[in-house]
Amino acid sequence: MAKILRVNMTDLTAKYEDPPEKYALWGGRGFTTAVTYHEVLPTCHPLGPLNKLVIAPGWVSGTAAPTSGRTSFGGKSPLTGTIKESNAGGLASQKIARLGLKGIIVEGLPKEPGKWWTLKITKDGATFLPADDIAGKGMYEVCKILAERHGKVAIIGIGPAGEMKLTNAGICVNDTENTAGRYAGRGGLGAVMGSKGLKAIVIDDTGGPGVPIANKELFDQGRKKMADSSREHAITKKDGALNSYGTAVLVNILNEAGGFPTRNFSSGRFELAAQISGEAINAGVKERGGEGRVGHPCHPGCIIQCSNIWPKPDGSFHVSVQEYESVWSLGADCGIGNLDDTGELIWLCNDIGLDTIEAGNTIAIAMEGGLLKFGDAEGAKKLLAEVRTGSPLGRIIGNGGVFTARALGVTRVPAVKGQCMPAYEPRVVKGIGITYATSTMGADHTSGYTIAPEILAVGGKVDPFAVSKADLSQAFQATTAFIDASGYCLFNAFHILDIPSGMEGMVESVAGALGTDWKVEHIAKVGMEILKMERAFNEAAGFTKADDRLPDFMTYEKLPPHNTVFDVSNEELDKVYG
Amino acid sequence: MTLEVCLYGSLAQYGSESAQSFYAQLRPTVPPGTTMRDLLASLGIPLEEKGITFVNAVLTDMPGLQADLDLVLQDGDHIGLFSPTYMWPYQYRFGVRMSPKLEEALQQHPDGGLHHSYAEGE
Repeated sequence: MAKILRVNMTDLTAKYEDPPEKYALWGGRGFTTAVTYHEVLPTCHPLGPLNKLVIAPGWVSGTAAPTSGRTSFGGKSPLTGTIKESNAGGLASQKIARLGLKGIIVEGLPKEPGKWWTLKITKDGATFLPADDIAGKGMYEVCKILAERHGKVAIIGIGPAGEMKLTNAGICVNDTENTAGRYAGRGGLGAVMGSKGLKAIVIDDTGGPGVPIANKELFDQGRKKMADSSREHAITKKDGALNSYGTAVLVNILNEAGGFPTRNFSSGRFELAAQISGEAINAGVKERGGEGRVGHPCHPGCIIQCSNIWPKPDGSFHVSVQEYESVWSLGADCGIGNLDDTGELIWLCNDIGLDTIEAGNTIAIAMEGGLLKFGDAEGAKKLLAEVRTGSPLGRIIGNGGVFTARALGVTRVPAVKGQCMPAYEPRVVKGIGITYATSTMGADHTSGYTIAPEILAVGGKVDPFAVSKADLSQAFQATTAFIDASGYCLFNAFHILDIPSGMEGMVESVAGALGTDWKVEHIAKVGMEILKMERAFNEAAGFTKADDRLPDFMTYEKLPPHNTVFDVSNEELDKVYG
Repeated sequence: MTLEVCLYGSLAQYGSESAQSFYAQLRPTVPPGTTMRDLLASLGIPLEEKGITFVNAVLTDMPGLQADLDLVLQDGDHIGLFSPTYMWPYQYRFGVRMSPKLEEALQQHPDGGLHHSYAEGE
């Protein structure tokens, strides 16, 4: 049976434990949430000794299941004060899982503040290596140095932002090219890792026991159905929408819809949107050649391959990845319409260790606050670089949008529960506004992925038009939680919604791996168990219905071009978990 | 009357020569009463190459539905045309403004349109 590795940063010990019953069934987000729910005091200071950093591969990570290499990171968020799960691609989850580990729980604060450690995990156990020589370094250099020392390993690490315990610090995972391209960005978990004096975790799975499969026949049948479904659907197939244009395929669509937040959510249209679109990325990569690539996998075994490598004009590596949320936040939301500029801003976030969504929102708020002008790309780069220096201004920016807005007296703050919004304007895409408002994570676009109506069976109604948006939002959030527990990339939701055998395949592969009797109708039920723990944690931390609201400006400030406000009633919002 | 038309992705080839390979913006002058079908014909865009479509930021079509061909265009309308390759997952358009014809077409669809793709066989 897979073990839990419990790491204590106070006395520098690492112990293997058999998972207690309450954790035995969980993986991914299910595991990080269960541990946070059972072991972390909801009212604790997120950067104090009572918080924990929980890391977990999903149920099928490390197996032959396609597109299943997501690593979940969890704990209490220093940005939102809520429970948090943020997941990333890269190399970590498969290697953790193949070492026979269900999860890693990092607890305690270091005895000697200012001293840094790297935790190395191999089949022979876990060791603490001094990391003072890599402290202060950006994640691109850290990945390079650690790979030179330890070979082909998975690397989990934080940049200077995490070391400074800034609340917009993310956790980085290295990718196939060993660059710092994959982030569990949202919610400031990098600051939690920093508070524990842990600069990096190195995972070498050589000789590991691998992932046990309880029912191989069922698992194989399921994973094959998943792969077939993924390869068949227009969104996920080779040369399909995601594979050709990446997630930035949505730039021009949301812009045409008037729902592409621009210049700190003051308009729904950006006149330069086409220049930072997935189509422009694809054309730029083809024109420049060299190391540039579209249809790039963020982790081994991904068959969707929505990532890319953006090249400099001479074809050399610039950054991976120019994806929808990042080109929006550091582009349109700041009035910046050039991919070399967004590329450099993303590189800076990756190196310093910041979440791109929050960082872009923060710069946009600084622009609104008069610190620099909308569209000033060079100024934006300087502002991000300031975070690395640890100057007072850098620390303000590194603490995210709400903090910066307060420092500058800005009132148009597109945040829920302290976390800034992603690239879908709730005054136009009203359904996602409901999810932003009621998600256990703060404003989060990955909390409500759509799952087929026959699975939802919301309130026993089969006609989705007879179902309220609130009921749908709850069902979407529950099914999303299930996928986040599985290790499967959430983008599998795109094909399994439309192809029933793909949906069956997902459940069969999970049930086959775990030895459960789960069927399709269990998805929402199991997912709801995760949400219940998250809601209970947040409630105990002091969150109420009054926190399940969008910022007030969205209810009275009309957004062009539709000139609409967010008009979903509080009663409807409260019905989601009513 | 004059329209503003944006062509995205592979549809940019039906734009002017000055267009970028992935994006074209045109201002065609058309007779009053021109429909979406007439506009596509005048630009030389085959129906099967039309996917997600917007008129003045209102969603009028999804791939595989052809719900707006008889829509009569008005002077100054802004039209955004995407090829069927594009996607717009349900959770990211849940609650957006749609034309009445498209709403009708989606309601007639099995499951009331709660899907990502409406093309044949998907």
